[in-house]
Amino acid sequence: MKKILGTLFFVSGLSAVSFAQERIKYVEYDLPNGLHVILHEDHDNPLTVVSVMYHVGSQNEKPNRTGFAHFFEHLLFEGSVNIDRGEYSKLVEKNGGALNANTTPDRTYYFEILPSNQTELGLWLEAERMLHAKVDSTGIETQRNVVKEERRMRFDNQPYGTFIEQAFENLYAGTQYGWSVIGSMEHLSQASEDDYVNFYQTYYVPSNAVLSIAGDIDIKKTKEWINKYYGSIPSGQAINLYRNFLRLDDKRFKEMYGVDKSIFDQKDFFASKNAEAKKIIAKYSAMPTAINRPGKNDDKLTKSIEKTIYDNVDLPGVFLVYKLPNENHPDAYALQLMNSVLAGSESSRIYKQLVEKKQLSTAAFSFPYLKENAGMNIIASINAKGKTDTEVIAAIEEEITKMQNELISDEELEKVKNQIEKQFIERIGDISNIAEILAQSYMYQGSTELVNNELAKYMKVTKEDIQRVAKEYLTKDNRVILKYLPKQD
Amino acid sequence: MKKLVLLLAIAGISTVSFGQIDRSVRPKAGAAPEIQIKDPQVFTLNNGLKVILSENHKLPTVSVYFNSPSDYALEGNKAGTATLMGELILSGTAKRTKDQFDNEKDFIGLSINSGAKQLYMHTLKKHLSKATDLFTDALYNATFPQSEIDRIKTKYESDLLAGKSNPSFIGQNVIKKVIYGEEHPNGEILTEETLKNITRDDVVAAFKRMFTPTKGYLTIVGDMTLAEAKEYAEKNFGSWKGAQPFTATYSTPKNTQGNRVIFVNKRGAVQSKIIVAFPLDIKKGDANDLTFNVANQILGGSGFGTRFMQNLREDKAFTYGAYSQYKTDEYGSFFAGSGDFRNAVTDSAITEFIYELNRITESNVTADELSQTKAMMTGRFARSLQDAGTYADFAYNIFKYGLPEDYYKTYLKKLEAVSEENILDASQKFINPKKLLIVVIGSEEVLDKIKPFDADGNIEKLDAFGDKVKETRAADITKEQLIEKYVLLNTNSKTIAEAKKKLKKIKTVEQEISMTTPQVPMPLTMKQYFQAPNKSAMSLEVQGMLVQRQYFDGKTGGQFVMQQGTKDLTPEEIDEKKKTAGLFEELNYAANGVKYELIGIESINGADYYVIKRENSKGESFDYFNMNGQKEKTVSIVTVGDETTEVTNTYGDYKDVEGIKFPHKTSMIMGEMGFNGEVKSIKVNQKIDGKVFLK
Repeated sequence: MKKILGTLFFVSGLSAVSFAQERIKYVEYDLPNGLHVILHEDHDNPLTVVSVMYHVGSQNEKPNRTGFAHFFEHLLFEGSVNIDRGEYSKLVEKNGGALNANTTPDRTYYFEILPSNQTELGLWLEAERMLHAKVDSTGIETQRNVVKEERRMRFDNQPYGTFIEQAFENLYAGTQYGWSVIGSMEHLSQASEDDYVNFYQTYYVPSNAVLSIAGDIDIKKTKEWINKYYGSIPSGQAINLYRNFLRLDDKRFKEMYGVDKSIFDQKDFFASKNAEAKKIIAKYSAMPTAINRPGKNDDKLTKSIEKTIYDNVDLPGVFLVYKLPNENHPDAYALQLMNSVLAGSESSRIYKQLVEKKQLSTAAFSFPYLKENAGMNIIASINAKGKTDTEVIAAIEEEITKMQNELISDEELEKVKNQIEKQFIERIGDISNIAEILAQSYMYQGSTELVNNELAKYMKVTKEDIQRVAKEYLTKDNRVILKYLPKQD
Repeated sequence: MKKLVLLLAIAGISTVSFGQIDRSVRPKAGAAPEIQIKDPQVFTLNNGLKVILSENHKLPTVSVYFNSPSDYALEGNKAGTATLMGELILSGTAKRTKDQFDNEKDFIGLSINSGAKQLYMHTLKKHLSKATDLFTDALYNATFPQSEIDRIKTKYESDLLAGKSNPSFIGQNVIKKVIYGEEHPNGEILTEETLKNITRDDVVAAFKRMFTPTKGYLTIVGDMTLAEAKEYAEKNFGSWKGAQPFTATYSTPKNTQGNRVIFVNKRGAVQSKIIVAFPLDIKKGDANDLTFNVANQILGGSGFGTRFMQNLREDKAFTYGAYSQYKTDEYGSFFAGSGDFRNAVTDSAITEFIYELNRITESNVTADELSQTKAMMTGRFARSLQDAGTYADFAYNIFKYGLPEDYYKTYLKKLEAVSEENILDASQKFINPKKLLIVVIGSEEVLDKIKPFDADGNIEKLDAFGDKVKETRAADITKEQLIEKYVLLNTNSKTIAEAKKKLKKIKTVEQEISMTTPQVPMPLTMKQYFQAPNKSAMSLEVQGMLVQRQYFDGKTGGQFVMQQGTKDLTPEEIDEKKKTAGLFEELNYAANGVKYELIGIESINGADYYVIKRENSKGESFDYFNMNGQKEKTVSIVTVGDETTEVTNTYGDYKDVEGIKFPHKTSMIMGEMGFNGEVKSIKVNQKIDGKVFLK
């Protein structure tokens, strides 16, 4: 549970595809506090997915406080003002639901899938997380250990397990993507409780989130509940006024806001009757939250970078990492299909040549990883024993040159389009995927409606497009070469 | 865009007032939702094939299932034939080799799977005609090439080898066998013996018996109208001809007289797997089916809140997990509660299982238990509906089991209506805590503890496949005589003096063994080195990558394991290595003070074996010698804390190399992994690079 999104393929261009058949319908609107709401009605099954996507990922972190976004994905299951520690997941399970969360460089996503007569419970649970989650030293200490263990298990102790981190650090050095999602354990240890509280108060606010609900819902009733649980959260900094009211003692609160805590309604803060309290809530409501929102950063490299990593591996590995544009770029579709031709399955080109025919590699793969503000294309080989990096890179380059000089066959193009289409349609058969795709399309592709046009964009890709993007991006200057070698004792 | 939203929000804020809301009040669930399941549409083709259509136009996809009308046949000494057949249906047809079939399938992104009684596919509707061409090609023209049969048999052999030391695998075999008995297809177990007996003709015959249109079911789920389905079915399946289905009736399982304790010996185990089971006379869709389902969930269905979990894990800390299953199929139903328990609490755990079974027959479950259980089951049911296969199962079950047409439509309402009293009634009717099957898979040291639970005090002992174990009988020779027999046989000698003389001339031995396992697509290469008098080493590589290495230079050594690194031998391990050094380590047992005994003659699969038990610092091991004195198997049990690992090595196809017999076929099973080894070369008295014995 609560893992960094493992399926890199779906983080990329595929994240918001659509197919030509039936339009995916939805209703969307903003609450006054800035929360964007998307509702998709589907009565096929008595299920509702309640999800909240926060527009915060590793790219929003400070370079000396990496790993925060992912850490919060763990921390925010600790409980809230009205939910005891450890009770969050149990509440969902004993009411017939399931839940999970994941983090990417661009966003953090939480969801519950519940029987549809429990929709309100899901809305209440997510509102608890949005408004007043437990961000305290006990939870921070517990989750630090969990995350450290996760890092050890999934990255440090896996042979070549650091390659994504290395790719980020080298390809994106000096930008918002210059570190991995799991981040630095030292940073997590060094961070103070205030650092964590600041992060929560900055990014976990309604105006930085999309509430996406899909399934067996009554739109009118659902809107009423949304209004009850989310409409009652004020905009701007008033939410943090309230959070600090909960968190700080009288003295520190007064230092910060110049008023006594006692003027506020102790039970229903935002309904405080005291005139001064009302005034200060209004004042902070009008004060927007400043969010660090880095821009596009996808210029190609002008000179190749090479890095050798000594790891606990027996066979050398080579990872060629090319800079790609951001995921909204028109070339995203052709790049996705190009990768399927290169190494999408066991009958694809790189696999056939490197693993089967030339036996240079024990494994070879290729995939694009497109993000909000930049992308990368990873082509990798775990070399067979005794095979040199030079031989392996030459063989990969031979395949790339072929892509650049010759058009792929009609059959190859049709096959990869068939596979993309099947994957997409299988994906939207599940409402939890729909909730996520809708939120994602709105959040960083600018338009929810994209969900209904993207498959058509894949289908329009021509052989010439694939040849063109291969020429454009898979160049020798525009890449980082990561070489993994066995650690010497 | 986002900025604009923010501005609007700020502008609007002063007019919004925040109504009173008490967030400490948790929302209550609404009324149980009704499932929207359209009635399936049904028609029958002239060849007797019943077509069931479950329309769903949400996605442009179609799933097609063929379900066999035939009953399982009794397979006797060829048990497992149908399973093998089911796995081979997609391995080549009269028109396409397996490779061609796979390529065409990949091109259209088709999912297709086969089983003993079912063929299934899922496709985009626009590829339906190509997909159906592949589907019917397999259905009508599967050829079952001998090479594929051999490949699957090899894989099953390894699986069985691995399964024999896996308590869960043993548990399933034993439960099926004791509940259904041998004259019932559910009680027939695939063993190494029956696997050997299965021929291609048997597989083809089983296929013909199972895959026939007459009274068969073709279930179509997805984007198809009734008119389309009629044309589709007629065109693709209308001219399919086949025999009448095979039908057979089997007796439903009966309760035992009094509690019956069954023991499977797992040498050296530090935990016992306990299974407490009984058959029930409930058929799918009976009034009691759903009620008992709820009772099962409360007892141990899933999650942490069940009674078994609360009692055995949370309260007593006897186990990491205790669960129950309630299984019902066309031939009968059974309940089984199970868990893994430390040896010392094996008897206490059984007592608690029985306590819980008694408790649920004595008083009502609590309102909380019932409401939470219903909520969990409602959620699980609803989530399962996201899968088209669930609708296919529903449509098929309604016909197969003659359920009311609205059975699944009203499932959640029926679930909601189950009361505390219903559960008590059903529990009293079906659970008899004095007529239980109590299966214990564990060490012999728990035998005395579990005896009191058996009604007549007579514990039945079964093997990993549920067959009766013959008791070990006293050996007719001494342990020294056995070892002498073994050494003489393998050195082709008449006397020990002659054998020792021959062995003295062996300075080095280097063996290369090719190891295969179903889990790894390419073979592993194992090299073993021996240098007189006491140096030894081993390395394991896959495609040139070193996976594991062990080395001992007579004084010290260590081992390297991929992803774990290098570790030196401990003083105890060095001592162990010294004691077991030599090409025939058995010759030095006495001199080295190895603790060993001949525990007797055991009968396994109809053959007799002398069994030698050895003790060492990490556990114990058992060597199996046939009546000629040849070593065929070693089972080593390593215990670390609460965990035991069992490693089984087998040795066969002994052939002479430089006057000494060496096994040329070996196997090794470790946990879930099974390897088959074939000796590629044995070099005697050739120089070995000394580095292999060093760090």
